Amino acid sequence: MTYGILSFGAYIPPLRLSRQAILAAVGWAVPSLRGMAAGERSVANWDEDALTMAVEAGRDCLAGIDVLPPHLALASTTLPFADRSNSGVVADALNLDNRMATEDLAGSRRAATSALARMAHGGPTSLLLSSDCRETRPGSAQEMLYGHGAAALLVGEGKAVAVFLGSASRHEDLVDQYRASDADFDYSLEERWVREEGYLKIVPEVIEEVAKNAGIALSEIDHVVLHGSVDTARALAKRLGIDVKRFVDTLGAKVGDCGVAQPMIMLAKVLAEAGVNERILVVGFGQGADAILLQTTAALSTMQGQRGPQRYLEHHRVTDNYTCFLSLRGQIDIDFGLRSERDNRTALSAYYRKRRDINSMLGGRCRVCNTLQFPRSLVCVKCAASDSQDGETLSNLIGRVKSFTEDWLAYTPSPPYIYGNVEFADGANIMLEFTDFTAGQVKVGDAVRLVFRIKDFDTKRNFRRYFWKPSPLLD
Amino acid sequence: MAKGIKDRVAIIGMGCSRFGERWDCGPEELIVEAFTEALADAGIDREQLEMAWLGLFFQEQSAGKSALPLSMSLRLPNIPVTRVENLCATGTEALRGAVYAVAAGACDFALAVGVEKLKDTGYGGLPERTKGSFDDLWLPNATAPGAFAQLASAYTAKHGCDPKDLKRAMAHISYKSHQNGALNPKAHLQKAITEDQALNAPMIAYPLGLYDCCGVSDGAACAIVTSVEKAREMGIKDMVTVKAMQLAPSNGLEMSNTAWDGSYLLTTRIAAERAYKEAGITDPVAQLDMTEVHDCFSVTELVVMEDLGLSVPGGAIKDVLDGKFDRDGKVPCQIDGGLKCFGHPIGATGLRMAYEMYLQLLGRAGKRQLKSPSLGLTHNLGGHPFRNVASVSILGLHSA
Repeated sequence: MTYGILSFGAYIPPLRLSRQAILAAVGWAVPSLRGMAAGERSVANWDEDALTMAVEAGRDCLAGIDVLPPHLALASTTLPFADRSNSGVVADALNLDNRMATEDLAGSRRAATSALARMAHGGPTSLLLSSDCRETRPGSAQEMLYGHGAAALLVGEGKAVAVFLGSASRHEDLVDQYRASDADFDYSLEERWVREEGYLKIVPEVIEEVAKNAGIALSEIDHVVLHGSVDTARALAKRLGIDVKRFVDTLGAKVGDCGVAQPMIMLAKVLAEAGVNERILVVGFGQGADAILLQTTAALSTMQGQRGPQRYLEHHRVTDNYTCFLSLRGQIDIDFGLRSERDNRTALSAYYRKRRDINSMLGGRCRVCNTLQFPRSLVCVKCAASDSQDGETLSNLIGRVKSFTEDWLAYTPSPPYIYGNVEFADGANIMLEFTDFTAGQVKVGDAVRLVFRIKDFDTKRNFRRYFWKPSPLLD
Repeated sequence: MAKGIKDRVAIIGMGCSRFGERWDCGPEELIVEAFTEALADAGIDREQLEMAWLGLFFQEQSAGKSALPLSMSLRLPNIPVTRVENLCATGTEALRGAVYAVAAGACDFALAVGVEKLKDTGYGGLPERTKGSFDDLWLPNATAPGAFAQLASAYTAKHGCDPKDLKRAMAHISYKSHQNGALNPKAHLQKAITEDQALNAPMIAYPLGLYDCCGVSDGAACAIVTSVEKAREMGIKDMVTVKAMQLAPSNGLEMSNTAWDGSYLLTTRIAAERAYKEAGITDPVAQLDMTEVHDCFSVTELVVMEDLGLSVPGGAIKDVLDGKFDRDGKVPCQIDGGLKCFGHPIGATGLRMAYEMYLQLLGRAGKRQLKSPSLGLTHNLGGHPFRNVASVSILGLHSA
């Protein structure tokens, strides 16, 4: 038993916006964007947010693991709730016990790396989730550069796949960019100033400190995860005398900068591909810097395979519909007609009674006839036995489409509204709203997997509610 | 030993408002229109009515709750009025209440009124509503077309048929209903359509196009019932009696279990079997002269033909295309035009179905008249294929 990273995961939403499409839409106003208009950036669907993406990254990390962490931390600068335990909802969705500690970490791009820097020195087994869904102003550089994504690390005592060699941190209120709590978009300052006064003065200090304390030469670092641009990486490599090829791909070509999750997604990618005894340096930046030094162990190969961002990089759909992108992210107010006026008020006391059914997709398995059913009920739907059901989650089951329709009448931010009967093992059938499918894609008999998504927005009362939806299988 | 309802209750008067976008009418006017006709038809005084049932679904977005909308509209002399609701099967539920009161011997004359005022929403659809505090948390925000469109994909998968053939059969169903509705001065839509129009219409909820869906309309219908003994006493010679009234609500099996394959309406089968037993029908194709089924959507009518035993499983497409349910077919369906031509003012529909059966049985259906029918079936379905209430009633001539 060693203390370190026990598992890792990531999540990139399948939708990608072509940067050429951004240029085509706003290049008339900001021609300088031309230089950035290559590749794609990831875009959360209308029913995704930092919370739902964190759930998916958490699932990736916990798949096949028999550990129920007694602690969960969720780091983001774009949590949907400023006050309502976001981490608690995520813990429910991951079907974790409620007798555990959950923490929401916010307010800084370094929310995840600073937590990891703390965890480097020990602590309870903890699931560290990082997720960001930063919106961007049309025509801004950020619109090109940012992506949406999430990552997860399971840290604690066990079969560690990477151990901590140390960490170092600095805080310096160099406001390279910021976002006020009530603002929609980031405000950024001059890149060259940020690089020269920020990255090149602050980051080398933390890197040299963590390496020195660990007794490691910089040349012995195999992978450098830097939350920064390619140009910044090049400049730092030169300043520190590290081979620039060791700086990990930022995934800028296909994903973009995912904020708090960015260094963690990159770390997950390294862990998914690295060999034994390789040293990984993770650097977070934002009004200071964190540096965490890790070394992989022989156990790493047992955790490699499906885990990490690669599957999500491959599972994608590129769109060039810029207007649709704006609408999905709530930037333009399309007139969806009177059906969109539906009042989505949640009866919170009723939701509380059903919170596990909803968030954990907890159905019931009848002890008498073994039938699985959702919703769970006091009377078994098959054998009518009373009070015979044990709670059982369906969220990790693969379903089979029994019927479906593409409804062009029902209100959805992403027409058509697709829904249908989905069958699961041991007799369960559930009528569900589908997500991430396009018109013409669904067929009866298709296998589907369940993902945790926003079910409805209550725009009148600033609330949102979540549930599970069938989506295409990962390739 | 309970004997059921067969031949115990006679319908002695019926009325039906014109269905449609009745901008000129609120619920009160629609009720009065239907009631006036029924009362005149029954030949009794309004004071003879002892009990009433009001079928009305949408409450505040329509005519309101409780007994009051009926009692107030007709200035009934404070007789007991019960408002009933069973989703889209509400109209039949109102008739059921009146019929059972008379059969129980609790009163001599009972009134059933079904009404719905849908066209005050301000747009071309049903009012948006909560599904309930738990259901809102997880069920899709389905529309009626989308919910019933589910039948199509499950049906084609189960029977291995070409979706194009199903689409053609659906188009024929709507074409056939319009052929009938064109002869009905009370229908909302009175123009014939072609099958091509139905096939090429804009998609509403795949694979249902515009012409596969009934419209949203206003309307009311009314029945006055009495015991067979009383009707005889009144000197009524040609009597329309209730042969069966059966109702089967879902209990969750279709919704939560794989026992249902999505391609048929389980509750319709159960209600039909019970209704045939109650009415003494052993061979529906041979014994039924006509049916009015719940054609909210063309695909619904198609599967209901099988659920009622009028087609063999998987055989409805062929039967429909062969014209088995056309006006000149073996078992005409929707001889008045159906929901397709009347629209679906929810509380009224079940009674509107009974109205046409009543007219046909008494030889009063004018241009739509079938040759000497003696038994008719109404099928009135509320909810969605995976969770619903099915009502099957059989009306016939007393000699039958």
